[in-house]
Amino acid sequence: MKRGWLIISCRHAHELLSERMDKPLATGDRLKLWLHLRICDMCTRVEGQMDFMRKALRRLGE
Amino acid sequence: MNADALSNSLDGLRPTLLKIARLQLRNDSWAEDVVSETLLAAIENAASFAGNSQVKTWVVGILKHKIIDQLRRGGREVSIEAQMEAAGVDSLDELYHPSGHRLSPPLDWGDPETTLSRTQFFEVLQACVERLPENMGRIFMMREWLEYETDQICKEMNITSTNCFVMLHRARMRLRECLEMNWFAKERGP
Repeated sequence: MKRGWLIISCRHAHELLSERMDKPLATGDRLKLWLHLRICDMCTRVEGQMDFMRKALRRLGE
Repeated sequence: MNADALSNSLDGLRPTLLKIARLQLRNDSWAEDVVSETLLAAIENAASFAGNSQVKTWVVGILKHKIIDQLRRGGREVSIEAQMEAAGVDSLDELYHPSGHRLSPPLDWGDPETTLSRTQFFEVLQACVERLPENMGRIFMMREWLEYETDQICKEMNITSTNCFVMLHRARMRLRECLEMNWFAKERGP
């Protein structure tokens, strides 16, 4: 197995965070994202922001 | 609720309904139509309004159904544009270093409930959704406001699921940037 295959960039992490809002992630992607979020505070912040945006949009017109 | 009180509150709701309908449909005459249909349906079904939910919530519920019908009717025209837009170049390159790191770190957005309690925040949110390219905005609202599943959106808009995920992702990142710049970077609003 290639070394570093579990390491993803923030850009890729953002893609996975978004994909996760629309469908369940493949196991490998879940693992990569989980590991990335463990070490990256900035992406953890973006994770919360994605949830926040969904919540805000559902309240439009209420 | 008596008929007078209902028609008064419906009258007051019209501008809000129109704003949301435009945001979702991106077509002024469709938006006018669905809002008229919604108000008519509300008046005709006034008897079925239990009165234990807010008039606004009830009417917005009707509006969602009318919008879904309109999207189906107008689907063919819209889907061709959507395919073209999905094929167009709109990468997120300007946000990242070639290595995939973000060029500027995302800000701390603070307490979500505090933000959601501000009326002005929703004005900024609407303005930011309006700024998304037409079909990206339409698809994004279908997903987040009408709460369609992604495969339903692909089917209605006749685009591939890859394009659909890509457009939703771009919409989220663009909206994130826009909210940050126009709300969160300004000390949490005016």
